[in-house]
Parts: sequence; C-alpha cells; structure tokens
Amino acid sequence: MYFDLKSSGLKTDLHKDICEGRIFESIYNKYSQSLHDYLYYKYGDRLNPGDKAQDAFAKLWENCKKVTPEKAKSFLYTVANNLMLNEVKHQKVVLKYQTESPKATTNENPEFLLEKDQYFKKYQQVLSKLSEEQRTAFLLSKVEGKKHEEIAEILGVTRKVVEYRIYSAFDVLRKELDNFKIK
Amino acid sequence: MDTNVLIQKWLTGELSEEERKAFDALEEASFYKDIVEDASYFKASNFSEVNDFATFKDKYITETASETKVIQMQWFQPVLRIASVVVVAFGLYFAFLYNSNVQVETAFAEKTTFQLPDATQVTLNAQSEVSYSSNDWDDNREIELKGEAFFDVAKGAKFDVLTDEGTVSVLGTEFNVKQRGSLFEVTCFEGTVRVVSNGITKILKAGDDFQRINGEIITGKNRAASPSWTNSMSYFKRLPVTEVFAELERQYNVKVQAENISQEQLFTGGFGHKDLDSALKAVSEPLGLDYQILKDDMVRFSKRE
Repeated sequence: MYFDLKSSGLKTDLHKDICEGRIFESIYNKYSQSLHDYLYYKYGDRLNPGDKAQDAFAKLWENCKKVTPEKAKSFLYTVANNLMLNEVKHQKVVLKYQTESPKATTNENPEFLLEKDQYFKKYQQVLSKLSEEQRTAFLLSKVEGKKHEEIAEILGVTRKVVEYRIYSAFDVLRKELDNFKIK
Repeated sequence: MDTNVLIQKWLTGELSEEERKAFDALEEASFYKDIVEDASYFKASNFSEVNDFATFKDKYITETASETKVIQMQWFQPVLRIASVVVVAFGLYFAFLYNSNVQVETAFAEKTTFQLPDATQVTLNAQSEVSYSSNDWDDNREIELKGEAFFDVAKGAKFDVLTDEGTVSVLGTEFNVKQRGSLFEVTCFEGTVRVVSNGITKILKAGDDFQRINGEIITGKNRAASPSWTNSMSYFKRLPVTEVFAELERQYNVKVQAENISQEQLFTGGFGHKDLDSALKAVSEPLGLDYQILKDDMVRFSKRE
C-alpha cells in the first residue's frame, strides 16, 4: 500500500507532490514510526517523541511546496531533531524495558527472577550511560533491525562511523554486564 | 584472531564461515548474543507510539485546510450529485439482484482451507466464521473474522481483516489472527502487518506476535513458520486456563467443567488435536490438575489432592 514516489509520473512538477494528500499520507505511513523510534532512543520518552514526530510532519505539510519527496526524509529527521534540541539541554535518558507480567512467572525460581530483574536494571543503567550517538546507533541496528547504511543516512554520518558506534556501545554493555554472565 | 576484531565483525555481520566458528567457540559467545537479543526488551514501540495518519490528520491538517481543496470541491460537487444517483441505483441493483456476500463457517472439531478470489489461502480453525464480498474483491480486500484463521495473502493492494476487537491490515503476506471473546492475538509469519486495536497501532514484522487480553497488551517473538494449529497442535503462551479449556472444547467438541480451579492461572504449552486423552494429559500435568472423562462429550478438571 506504500506509494512509490519515483513512479508517480509527475517528474515535471515534483514540488507539488507532497502537497497532494495521498502522497503526503504515504510519506507519513512510511516514516512516522521510524522517526518516532529514532527520537525515542535518542531522547527517551519524557519529551514526547510521538508529538515531536507529528510536529515535524505538520512542518513538512506547511512547507510541502518547498520540499521535494526525495528530501522529505532528511527534512523530517532534521526538523524533529531540532524541535527536541530546542526543548531540552541534555538530560539523562532512561529507557523502559518490558517486564513479563508478574503473575505469569509463578513457576520460576525467585532467585532467578531477582537476578533477571537486576540484569535488566543494570542494562537500563548502561544504556543511560552511553552517549546519545552510541545508544541511538546500537538500538536502531539491533532492536529495529535497520541497515547500517540507513542509520548512517539518518544520523548524517558515514557507515564506518555507525559501525564504530554500535561496536563501542556493545563494548560498554559487555563489560558492564560481565557479572551476569552465566558461569 | 583477536576477540575484539571478531566481535566487531560479528556486529557488522561480516563474519566469514571460519570466523563464525571461531566466534561461536568463544566462551562468551552466548552471553554476547543474549546482550544483543535482550536489547529488544527496550523496543520503542512497546512504550511509545506515534499516532496513525487519520489521528494526525484530525489534529494537525484540518486546521490548515489548503486552498487547493476548496477549488477542487467546486467542480467536484455536481459530479458528486450525479455520482450519488448512480451509486444508489447500483446499490439497489446489487442489494436485490446480486448478493455476493460469501460466508464460510466451521463447526466444532472442524477445520477448512479455501481460496479467496485472488488466490489468497485462508485456513479456518474450529468454530470460526469469515465473510467477505466476492464481486468487488480485487478493489476491496476486506474480510470479517470471528474466531481464528491463518492467512497466506496473495500479492496485491491493501488487505484487511476486521474483528470485533481490532483490525489487522496486511502490508505483506502470512499471518494468523485470533479473536475469541476479549482475547485478540495476531502473529506475523512473513512480511509485515499493521494491527489497530483500541486506538493503538502496531506494526508487526515477521516473527512478531501481538496479544491483547483484558486490555493488557503483550508483544513477543515467535519462531514458527506457520501457526501450530494448522499442524493440528494448539499452543499457548501465558494465557489464562479458561482460554485453554475453551480451545479444548472447540477442538474436541466437548464440554469442559473446571472444579476449584483458579481462573487466573496461566498456561504455557500445547495439546494435539488427534487424541483427547493425551490432550487432556498435556493440559492437566503442568497445571497440577486431575481430569476425568465423564461422558463422550463431557470432561472434568479438578485440583489434585
């Protein structure tokens, strides 16, 4: 159901494209969730990544005559990032983790549960301690499964830099979580 | 080879066959894999979501309705008038002369597989029902579901499955939908699907599953290639025993009585569809229950003394 922008056939007048509701909708469907995920990993949930992502799309709509479809993605990421930066001077980012609901685990050994809980608490701490760059690259790659090229494009750096950030994030994680290694 | 280099290559997905062996031989290989896998517990969409386009549009776009829209409507209106007459005429024609609504139902202990007009395969589990309209199927791939079904969707435009508890839109190909009472479960096996349930939108990729029971949403992973029930097994992941009993009733056409059993108790595991006795064993053993087959169509579970 995604609309292929390249085949839209309006090559002579590309600037009008985004103003067309259907094309704008396809751009929204294509990018809104990953834009949101990026903001979430980078800034946490306190500054409401969902609203910021939508604000960026509203800005895109206002500027639909000036932005070509090819530029839409980087326009969105830049605007959303700026909107975040306007609001905050760096604060600690604590990402939530999904716990299995407690009633479900009645048959598990309490010691095991305690250890698991401590493990995820520690994991959370380490993620907060990572730099924005490391955390964003690592989570976009390993949780969202994005390709390194795409992350590089989003973050505006080269692929090598992305790979280095993923590695250095992982390196901190494995050192800090060393105590939880199963013997 | 240096461990750090191995790790680096592993993270980038550039290990050669030989290096992979060396990596797997590392004492800490499984620990490393766990770290990467456990990152998904922090997945953004489990905690925070962006509104779908419709909500976004209501909130932002209507305020700044553009000029082009107004101009469009002026010539559009007379066309709409003519169109509405045509639509009414066609509507009457189809309502009285051309009823193309297709309904497929299964009874207790029955499964069936059939094809939709576009060669989409639907496998219907016991006591389930789907209905769709066959004449405009290619333009409007919408199917209503009560119960449980597995879809292998043919390539094409939008494909929607409507249930009382939410809508599943297909962006890709193979998925399972289960809606029994307030339980709503979607598993995606191939491609991508979008689930809209109670105002929440989730995109599932291959291997993701989504479960909403009594308002609580749980998402998880799944490695199977097709739902277990299509291979005559029912499998449950942390579901209340009542759901398990209900499925037993559907698969074997029996009535299940539960004596002094906490309804809250959760069950993980499965049972086969071929032999009632072993199915009952499979359910009762892990829960520490006893069972009794009272009549041909009556089964009782009770707490073990």
